[in-house]
Amino acid sequence: MAAAVVERIRSTDRSTGEKWGLGLLVLVGVCLLAIGAGWVPGGLSFLLLVVIGIVLVGLISAAVLGGPDLRRTLAPYGLLKPGSMWLALFYLAPLWTLLRNSLSAKESRFDVQATFSWEFSNYGTAFTDFGPQFTRAFLYAGIATALTIMIGYPVAYFIAFRGGRWRNILLGLVVVPFFTSYLIRTIAWSSILADSGPAVKIIETLRFNGILEAIGIMDDGRLINTATAVIFGLTYNFLPFMILPIYVSLEKIDTRLVDAAQDLYSSASRAFRKIVLPLSVPGVFAGTLLTFIPAAGDFVNAQFLGNPNTTMIGNSIQDQFLRQNNYPVASAMAFVLMAIITVLVLIYSKFFGTEDLA
Amino acid sequence: MSATRNVRSRVGRAALAVYAFGGFIFLFAPIAFIVAFSFNKPKGKFNIIWQEFTLDNWRNPLADEALTEALWMSLRIAALSTGISTILGSMIAISLSRYSFRGSSAYNFLLVLPLTTPEIVLGSSLATLFLGQSIVEFGFTTIVIAHVMFQVSFVALTIRARIRGYDWTLEQAAQDLGASPFMTFRKVTLPLILPGIMAAALLAFALSIDDFIITFFNAGSTMTFPLQIFGASRVSISPQINVLATSILLLTVGILAVGTFTGARRRARHGLDG
Amino acid sequence: MSDSNVSKSKFPELKMNSTPMSRRQLFARAGVLGAAGLSLPALLAACGGDSNGGSGGGGGSSSLYVENWPLYIDPSEDGAIGTAERFMEATGIDLTYTEAYNDNLEYFAKIQPLLGTGKTIKPDIIVPTQWMAGRLRSLEWLDKLPIDQVPNAKNLEDVFKNPPSDPTGEFSLPWQAGTAGIAYNISATGRELKSVSDLFDPAFKGRIGMLTEMRDTIGLLLLGLGINPSTISSFDEASAAFEQLEKAKSDGQIRAFTGNDYTDDLASGNFAACVGWSGDVLQLSADNPDVRFIIPEEGGTLWWDTMVMPKGAQNRDAAAKWMDFVYDPVQAAQMTVWVQYQSPVKGVRDEVAKLDAELADNPLVFPDDETRKRLFAFAALDLDTEAEFEEAFSKITGA
Repeated sequence: MAAAVVERIRSTDRSTGEKWGLGLLVLVGVCLLAIGAGWVPGGLSFLLLVVIGIVLVGLISAAVLGGPDLRRTLAPYGLLKPGSMWLALFYLAPLWTLLRNSLSAKESRFDVQATFSWEFSNYGTAFTDFGPQFTRAFLYAGIATALTIMIGYPVAYFIAFRGGRWRNILLGLVVVPFFTSYLIRTIAWSSILADSGPAVKIIETLRFNGILEAIGIMDDGRLINTATAVIFGLTYNFLPFMILPIYVSLEKIDTRLVDAAQDLYSSASRAFRKIVLPLSVPGVFAGTLLTFIPAAGDFVNAQFLGNPNTTMIGNSIQDQFLRQNNYPVASAMAFVLMAIITVLVLIYSKFFGTEDLA
Repeated sequence: MSATRNVRSRVGRAALAVYAFGGFIFLFAPIAFIVAFSFNKPKGKFNIIWQEFTLDNWRNPLADEALTEALWMSLRIAALSTGISTILGSMIAISLSRYSFRGSSAYNFLLVLPLTTPEIVLGSSLATLFLGQSIVEFGFTTIVIAHVMFQVSFVALTIRARIRGYDWTLEQAAQDLGASPFMTFRKVTLPLILPGIMAAALLAFALSIDDFIITFFNAGSTMTFPLQIFGASRVSISPQINVLATSILLLTVGILAVGTFTGARRRARHGLDG
Repeated sequence: MSDSNVSKSKFPELKMNSTPMSRRQLFARAGVLGAAGLSLPALLAACGGDSNGGSGGGGGSSSLYVENWPLYIDPSEDGAIGTAERFMEATGIDLTYTEAYNDNLEYFAKIQPLLGTGKTIKPDIIVPTQWMAGRLRSLEWLDKLPIDQVPNAKNLEDVFKNPPSDPTGEFSLPWQAGTAGIAYNISATGRELKSVSDLFDPAFKGRIGMLTEMRDTIGLLLLGLGINPSTISSFDEASAAFEQLEKAKSDGQIRAFTGNDYTDDLASGNFAACVGWSGDVLQLSADNPDVRFIIPEEGGTLWWDTMVMPKGAQNRDAAAKWMDFVYDPVQAAQMTVWVQYQSPVKGVRDEVAKLDAELADNPLVFPDDETRKRLFAFAALDLDTEAEFEEAFSKITGA
């Protein structure tokens, strides 16, 4: 009997093996997702755990017993399994519980758990009470992203094409500031931008305050606790996430292409526009995502550098969740934030997308 | 080529250099501030106004007990979560880059998802998961779980980017020459992918140490370094925060420098071009 | 308290002492006395006893975990021995004293998943503000204090006895009290302030700070509007203050809502004036004479943070000893000299007078009857009304 099974496993061909491998991977993932998301009652989730156990044991024994071919077929699925289980249980399942919470209500706000009741009004509250915070989050993140491109692109270009043998060191210098804590950097900016701080002093010495005031960057002679400061902080904190991907895409460009264009009497700016720029689009694309997404959900910069009229949606989610114990409305806001970002990313990828994010 | 064009390009180059230099100043302005203020002798509870120079803070970098303890906690969390995520992430990366198999493109998508989800969503959603159960309490375990969750994608994608295009037939060759699968892994596969794994682990460690938003939602009463700083920011900012931040900075820069240096030497020894 | 006190009666304004002694000096002096004040025989006796329990009987628990607000106890520094260390030496109890209580609401959110599901939390004693203690008591998340084992509890000042948040007085024992009033930096305002309405002076646009602690900010605004915050019971009665705050916020009058970090904005001149707490500003003005604190003519708020034991706390005997220790006027005086808040312990003033006569005469630390009449505790709201207040407030703070 056992010998027959072993024989059977041995003789499994590649495509059957693939089907099984993929099928079991999905099965295990779904089981864990179901347990995490609370789709199944306690007893059944124990059963699912047993199923997962059997699958894992089965896969390992199949790999041990089976021939090298089968092993090769099953190996990728086996390697994926632990990581997938983690992501299923701690990434996908939480998104489900978040969604469920956003449609729940709490009888008393001191209850630990909210009860699911198709409470769509949470979404109403999220939009009516926190509309301005949503708007500001996307506005500030958008401006900050544009600024990081403006600042980051030339820096990346410089490192890639003028860095020479200093290239790696310059690249290191871009990363080094980010080995100090995010919070400390932001607090440091709040000191630099303070009313009596160096930034305001320099601006006043150079007599730029009139201009800055006129275009709305300064407010009443101050920088700190303004929208400017929040956007500034976001720009600073996410700049490396723009520089690095742009650098990576620029680095890949064969400089001989540019030389060739110039030999053919193309102007430097034309060569840049026709060759360098298009080839660096993937970098800008990745950088934009890596900057815009975290910036839109950030609350640290608005907290330390902003004022009560510049709070972003992250502040609201944090406050509702961790201070007001209002998990349902906080979940609704988080869900909306994610949905909007997903839609924006999809649209954006349609226009500029490359399939390669990493 | 005409002279004007030469001049123009030279001016352009200079302008670019100045601009890039400005960019670096921008990047380092707060760092200079943080380092400088580690030598400050603050008058009140907040180390944010320059008073006078002192070395006292450096004589006693661990004077702030709660902060030191929080840093220690952060290191433990980072070590454990980096260990787990590096193993899981490496397996994923090997699987994705070495084999072509059914479902791999869908899997790529799943892997990128956590990176395109704002941290605040990751943090709050995970907190709703933990709130709905009674197996683990908020604290060390939940923080490690959360960190591994966002590290896995980073690790997998970093390693995959590094090892893409490697010649996996070397493994086959080793096996054909009689090496056991274990031997093959140790002598061929591991050396190939190790630099990528190291880089990814370093990144994961740094991400864990500095994570604030996701940790904030899932920490319970456990205090990590960033959480302690956040708490302190409302009560008192001691110069030890700057001292420890500066130390961490110097340490990581040191590690990077040594890594780069030895890497360069190794490459030189092997006669490879960096 | 009658409403006439709240309306515009002209009380002389209280100000900081104009010749502040440096805080360091203060510590050094207090420290020497403190070390001397701790009787050597008592120490030896404690050390002589075995490690658990020490002298004074009461039982087997030999460890204790107290979680408090930061900078709320005299530390061991400059030759002085802090209260925590003195307690350990005197009783042999292994005390863990942490300062992770940063914010009432945040701390509540941390303990809620545990206490709300019948689990216990690690600290034996936590020190929420009295309204939060009231909330915890209403939710039945507290154990009764072992008051009968705390002889010194008799030293509790009458003002704090049986407050609305703990009518029977069985669940809480105050730690320190204080006043929210107006703090200002005279080099930024250019003039003395005296009234709540000064906070809305257009000249200070964008340079006013408010506290994230709803009861202090709204309480002060209510006083400014002539409404007694001690007697309100519904949101409608307080809505005028919320409207005033909302308007000031949208007009850009308010620069930020802060926790204790207002002290730093005040000192650096980012804030011209703000709602602040008495003890903080007293500490601050010792270093910076420009920083002043007043109880506005309309009155100030009275709050206190109070020791409670979360449900299921283990070390009740040790907790009783701790409370007894800090309710000894000699010990409490050491804390008062350092934190400069109002001590809820009778007899502290006499002890402080021995250490620092000037401080003993400061009505912000030891309010006289005149001052007491001008301080108003925020009413104890029922949970639903409280929710309404918190919600409205969080909407304004914009978070």
